[in-house]
Amino acid sequence: MILEVKNLLKAFGGLVAIRDLDLAVNKGEIVGLIGPNGSGKTTLFNLISGVLKPDKGEIKFDGRDITGLKPHKICQSGIARTFQLTKPFAQMTALQNVMIGRMYGSEPVLSRRQAEEECEKILEFIGLGEKRLSVAASFGLVDRKKVEIARSLATKPKLLLLDETMAGLNPAEMEDALQLVKAIGDSGITLIVVEHVMKVILDISSRLIVLNYGEKIAEGTPQEVVHDKNVIEAYLGE
Amino acid sequence: MSNWKQFSVSGGIIVLLILVPLIFTRTDVLTWFYLTLLYIALSQSWNILGGYTGQINLGHAAFFGAGALAARYIWLHFGLPLPLAILGGGLAATIFAMIIGFPAFRLRGIYFIIGTLVLAEILRLVFYTILPEADVMPMKLLGAYSLIPRYYLSLLIAVLTVAAVYWISRSRLGLGLMSLREDEDAAEASGVDTQRYKLLAFAISTFLAGLTGGIYAYYSAAFRAGGLFEPVWTFDAVIIVFVGGVGTIVGPIVGSVFFVLLKQILSLYLPGGIHVAVFGALFIMVVLFLPGGLIELMTRFRKRTSGGSI
Repeated sequence: MILEVKNLLKAFGGLVAIRDLDLAVNKGEIVGLIGPNGSGKTTLFNLISGVLKPDKGEIKFDGRDITGLKPHKICQSGIARTFQLTKPFAQMTALQNVMIGRMYGSEPVLSRRQAEEECEKILEFIGLGEKRLSVAASFGLVDRKKVEIARSLATKPKLLLLDETMAGLNPAEMEDALQLVKAIGDSGITLIVVEHVMKVILDISSRLIVLNYGEKIAEGTPQEVVHDKNVIEAYLGE
Repeated sequence: MSNWKQFSVSGGIIVLLILVPLIFTRTDVLTWFYLTLLYIALSQSWNILGGYTGQINLGHAAFFGAGALAARYIWLHFGLPLPLAILGGGLAATIFAMIIGFPAFRLRGIYFIIGTLVLAEILRLVFYTILPEADVMPMKLLGAYSLIPRYYLSLLIAVLTVAAVYWISRSRLGLGLMSLREDEDAAEASGVDTQRYKLLAFAISTFLAGLTGGIYAYYSAAFRAGGLFEPVWTFDAVIIVFVGGVGTIVGPIVGSVFFVLLKQILSLYLPGGIHVAVFGALFIMVVLFLPGGLIELMTRFRKRTSGGSI
C-alpha cells in the first residue's frame, strides 16, 4: 500500500467537504476518483498534497505519516499533482518550468547541465521537446497542461494526482492525453485521476472510488461501479 | 549575446567607470555619476524582491534609512572604521526586514505591501521626532571632504548589486524565486519552500539596500534622520525599476541613467517639485503601455532594425 487515508474529515464552516473518509491505494494502481460536482474530489487532492490541513484523521504515504505537512515537503516526499485550472509559471520557458520541479521537488542535482538533460528528456517524452525554450505564457491549453504534467514528473513522484487533465480537450487531444496517462502509469508511477469524462475514466482506471457529499459511496472495478445502485442514484437521482 | 561578449562589455564599462574621476574633475559631473550608481544599487536591490520574487515592498526607504542611520552612528558617533559601519548598516536593515517579514509573509496578499509601507512611515515619524536636529559632519571631516572615495564606494555597491542579481538570475535560487512570483501554489507543489525563499530574497534585498544607505551616510554632509526614511527613496527605486524593465538585470541600470538625467534636466527647467508629477505620469504610462519598460522598447527597436535576428 502506497497511500492510506484513515478517518479523514475536513469541514469549511458548517459544510463538511470530506466526511470520515477511508481509502487505500496500492503501488502501481491507476485509481479513478469520480463523483458529482462538489463531492469533495479536489478537496481530497488538496488534503493529500498539503494545501489544506485536515480537521481529523490521518494520511500515510509510503509508510510515513504526512498529515499536516506543508505542500513542498509532501512534494519532496514523492507526491506530485497537477491543478484543475492549470498553473504553469507563465513568464518562464517550458524548460525552466520543468527545472523547478527537478531542482526543488527531487533529490539534489549533480550539475545544472545534468538536470537540464533530464528535463529535456521529460519534455521530449511529453511532446514539448520542440517548444522547450518557448515561454509558457504563449502556450495553448494542451501545452499548458503538458508543461504542468512535465513539471510534476520532474519531481520524480511515486504518486501523481491528476486533477481533470482531460477537461477542455477535443476528442483527438483526449486520445493523446489518454495514451500519455497510460504511459505514465506504465512507467511505474501510481496515479489517482479525477476525471469527469466517463469513457476516459473507465478506460484507464484499474479501480474506481466514488465520492458523494464527501463520503465514499462505492469502490471497485469500473464494471462493478457503473452498475452500483448508489452510484446511479448519486448521478441521476432516484 | 555570448558569455564572453557579456563579460568583456561589462568589464569595459567598469574600467571606464573607474577612470571617470580622472577624466571629469567637475564636482557636478562626478555627483551625477555618483547618484546614478547609488540609484542603480538602490533600484537593483528592490528588483531582487519586487522584480524577481514578485513581492512588492513599498517601504524600501525603511531599509535604506536604517542602513544609513546605523552606518552614520557606527562611523561618526561610535568612531569605528567605515567598512565596519557600512556593513553594520546592511545588517541593521536586514534585522528590520526579518522583524516585518516573519509575520507579514505568513499571510498572503497585500499584508506585506502594507506592512512595509507602514514600517517606513513609522520610522520616518519616529526619527523626525527623536532626532530633530540635522546630523552634520564634523568640521574636520568637511574640510578634507572629497567626492572621489564616495564615488568609488558607489561604484563598488552598484557592481556588487548588479553581480548579485546576475548570479541570482542564473542560479537554483533564482529559479525558486521566480517560480513563487509566477504562482505560489504551483511553486509549493513543485517543492519550493515559498515562505523561506520570500524571507531569503527579502534579506538579500534589504541587506544591499542597507549597504547603499551606509554609502549615502558617508557621502551626505548633513541630513535630518527622518529624511532618510522619506517615501521618495522607495518610489524613486520603484519608478526606476519599472521604467527600465522590471525583473531584468539591465532594466534598473538603464532606468537609473535615464531617471537621474531626466531629474536633473527637469529640475533645471521646471518650477520646484513639478518633476515629481512628471515621473508619476511616466510611471503610469509605462505600466499601462510598456510593461517591459525601456528594455522592451530597446529590444523591439533592435529587432526591427536587424530584421528580427535576435
